[in-house]
Order: sequence, then C-alpha cells, then structure tokens
Amino acid sequence: MSDHGHEINLRSVTRGVAFAPSLVLLATLIVIWAATGAGYFWPMWAALGLAIPTGLWLAIRWARLRPKGATRRYAMQAGISLVLVVTDVFIWAMSGGGYFWPIFPFVGLAAALALHGLFLRPGQRSLQLRVDELTRTRSGALDVQATELRRIERDLHDGAQARLVALSMQLGRAEERLADHPDSAALVRQAREEATAAIRELRDLARGIAPPVLADRGLVAAAEALASRSTANVEVIGHLDHRLPPVVETAAYFVVAEALTNVAKHAPGASARVTVHMDGAMLVVEVADNGPGGANAAGGGLIGLKQRVEALDGRLEVHSVAREGTVVWAVLPCE
Amino acid sequence: MRVVVVEDSALLREGIVALLAENGIEVVAQAEDGPGLLRIVDGHKPDLAICDVRLPPTFTDEGIRAALEARRRHPKLAILVLSAYVEPVYTGELLAAGDSGIGYLLKERVSEVRTFVDSVKRVAGGGTALDREVVSALIADRNRSGDRTELEALTPRERETLELIAQGRTNAAIAREMVVTLGAVEKHVSNIFAKLDLPAGDDDHRRVLAVLAYLRATGGP
Repeated sequence: MSDHGHEINLRSVTRGVAFAPSLVLLATLIVIWAATGAGYFWPMWAALGLAIPTGLWLAIRWARLRPKGATRRYAMQAGISLVLVVTDVFIWAMSGGGYFWPIFPFVGLAAALALHGLFLRPGQRSLQLRVDELTRTRSGALDVQATELRRIERDLHDGAQARLVALSMQLGRAEERLADHPDSAALVRQAREEATAAIRELRDLARGIAPPVLADRGLVAAAEALASRSTANVEVIGHLDHRLPPVVETAAYFVVAEALTNVAKHAPGASARVTVHMDGAMLVVEVADNGPGGANAAGGGLIGLKQRVEALDGRLEVHSVAREGTVVWAVLPCE
Repeated sequence: MRVVVVEDSALLREGIVALLAENGIEVVAQAEDGPGLLRIVDGHKPDLAICDVRLPPTFTDEGIRAALEARRRHPKLAILVLSAYVEPVYTGELLAAGDSGIGYLLKERVSEVRTFVDSVKRVAGGGTALDREVVSALIADRNRSGDRTELEALTPRERETLELIAQGRTNAAIAREMVVTLGAVEKHVSNIFAKLDLPAGDDDHRRVLAVLAYLRATGGP
C-alpha cells in the first residue's frame, strides 16, 4: 500500500519534487556565500535562474485553465511575457538600478501582445464570444436536463409508483376474499402480477436516472456504496461541504462506477483508492489502483466516460503504466 | 401486537392499515413523516413500526434515519421498512442497528397478502424479513467476487433454501414455500451450514445473520 499512495499523489509529488531540489540548492549556495565571507550577494542570480522556469511553469499552468484554442494561446503569451518583464525588472534592480532599460522589452512584448489581441478581433473575437455563449448554454441545458430527470424520477416514485402499489395491494386483498372462487382468484392474481411487473419496470427506469443513494445522499455516500459492493479492496477519501449540481454528481458517479468495475475486471486482487475533492470550483475525482496497469484508454467504457465528462467541459485522463497500476482522473467544473 | 404505520401517500397508508386490520393486526397510530414517526413511537410504544424510506420534507432517506433514531430510543421496537427500491446501503444500516426485529421489503410485496402478513408477524416477533431482491443482490455481488466455488458447491435445492434463510424465513415457512417436508428442509440447512463452514445456531435471527455475513463478505485482502 505504500506504493499506492505514491501513485495517487503522482501529480502533487512531481510538483513538490520540482520545487524541493531548487530550494535545497539555493539554501546550499546561501550557506557557501555566508561561509566565504558574505560579500556580494551572488546567490540571488542562482535564485533568478531557478525562479524563471518555475515562473514559466506557473504561467503555462495558468494559461491551461482557459478553454483550448485562441484564448489559451493568448493567455499563454500574456503569461510568458509577464514572466519575462518581471525577470528584466529583477535584473535591472539587482544590477544597481539606474537607467530603466526594461522599458524596451516591456514595450516590445506589450506591442506583440496587442498585435495578437488585434489579430483575435473581430472574427476570432466574435467566434470566441459565440463559443463562450454556446458553452454556457450547453452546460445550462445539461444541468436543466439532469434536474428534470431527477424530478421525473421523484414524480414516478410519488405518483405512478405509489398508485400502482396501492392498486396491486387492493388486488391482493380481493384475491384473498376470492378464496372460494378459484377461477376469479386466478384472474385477479394475473392482474396483480401485471401491476407488480409495471412497478418493477418503473423502478428500473428510475434507477437508470440516478441510483437512490446518489439522489438521497450525494456523491461521497454513493462512492462509498460502490466501494462496499466492489469485490476489490476499495478505500474512499473525500468530503464535500455541499451537494453538487445533479449533472456533475451523476457524471462523477459513473466515472467512479466504471473505474471500479474495471478494477474488479482487469486487476483482480488489487486495491483501489477513490478520492473526491473540490479544487476551487472544480470537482476532482480520482480512482487509482495498484493492479497490473496497461489499461486501454480508448476502451469502450472509458471513451463513453470521456465523452460524458467533456460534454460538461471537464477533462478525463487515464494513466496506466504496465506494472504500476491505473489512475483514472477526472475534473468537472461545478458552475 | 401494536403496530404504527408511517407512509406519506394516504392511499397506500390507508390500504396497509385496512389490509392489516383484515388480518387481525391492530394499527394504533399513523404518521406521514420522520418527526411523526418519532412522535407516535414515543407516544404509543408500539411493538413494530412499518415505515417508508422517502418521506417529506426532503423525500430522501428520512424514513431510514427516523427509524434508526426510534430504534436507538426504544431498542425493543421492531422495524419493517417498505421501500420503492433495493438499496444495499440502507439494508446494511438497518441490519447493523440491532440483532432482532428488522425487515426491509419492496413496497409491492404488500400485494402478496399472506406472505406480507407473515413477514409483519415475524419481524414484530423479533425475526427478520429481507426482500428476495435484497438477497439476490447480495448473492450477485458474491458471485462477481470470483470466489464462487463455495456457493457452487450447493445443490440447486440448497441454494434455494439459502435464499429463503437469508430472507428470514423459518424452517416451517421454507418447507411450505418449497413444498417439501420439514425434515428435508432441516437436512438442507445443516448441509448448507457445513458446506459454507458457518456457525450453526438454533436462533432463527442469528442464523439469518450468519448467512448474511457470509454473503456480504466479499473477496480481496
């Protein structure tokens, strides 16, 4: 299980690893600087050297939060320009100030950015506005649809289903009273069995919309229910302060369900960990196992999930390396 | 036997009350939501509470939560939950709440009048009544777990007996259902317990728990 935690936190670990050696290196240099008489503070140049890639990495990560396409490219350029300007200003300040030469690269980069912005307009820009609008209305439509489905499910339960149960019960009581008339009793029994079949069909319909525990108690409880029914040894870590939009809840539920089905099917004997948490306005769901890995991300079930998640402007990734287990990772915006 | 019925659909609630009355079971009070259940249980001290899972105001799981709370306050209260669906989480919580007098049936079972009345009496008397779909879901989980060899070792008749035991039926009821003699059932039961290596018990409810514990124990480390 110790390996297991490593796989799950792969992302945060690589992030941490990127910073840790830099800090260690810097601290070492400062010690050397202090030991060699603490003269001119040269370690700051090393700090600059280490800070630039970090800054660029942060800028790219920030830009990647935008939707793919023109906006992301623009954000990428803006982010990188900002890092370069800050670097220039730092160099200027550290080399004793004086004539403010960073103004030239600043003006250059700003001009390039403005040109790029101009290029975005008007065609690109109106296209972008249209894309934004469609994205908004689509997710609105999906949300309305999911909410409607839940309402229908509830109405089926309170309306048609309750009436059918009452009907079948009355037929049952009639059947009891017809004990002396076997022919009539058989007829009533048939009617009762038909009513029961209708109740069963309604139940299957309602279950397909959302499993009861998900509708009643939310995502974490539903994930725990999946875990307890799974044949694999599954741990669920997660806590959500509030209920999520039904459409997100349902999509996330099916991600966990499909991933756990795959664990049971392809990684018998493996353990799995399900983590559910919010990252700002994004729901992050991860299912990691310590099985044999090598899952095919283009496999039927996973492709279906990917489409479901992407329809909500989310992202689904499958990392599956032979002998290192499989991680299914999904992020879903909740706005 | 004193029974209370908690169900938000008046049609259904009155139907259940009439059905029970026809079979000589007195319903002393009715309610239509969770707080109502607690109130009538505190007030009437019934032997059995029959309740729905989804109740006002949120129509989620307040029936289960209210029933568990009532059980905590009155440990001798038997509980029979009627639900529109099978949800393993809820049956698990109910079974964990006590060692006697627990039932979970799909609502449409009320139409099989005689079996339903039997279940009501059995639960009120401290026994168990689990819907056959709850049991078959447990068996399906068990089968998916891969170590199905033990279940496969059972003959079809023993397998049928196992399902009826898990539902909470007594040997006499199983004999009636399977149209065999009591002796034949006893033989099946002892074979099942031997093949599955379960602790044998005279107590019916403990026997149910042993079988359920077996079915719920899934594979894996």
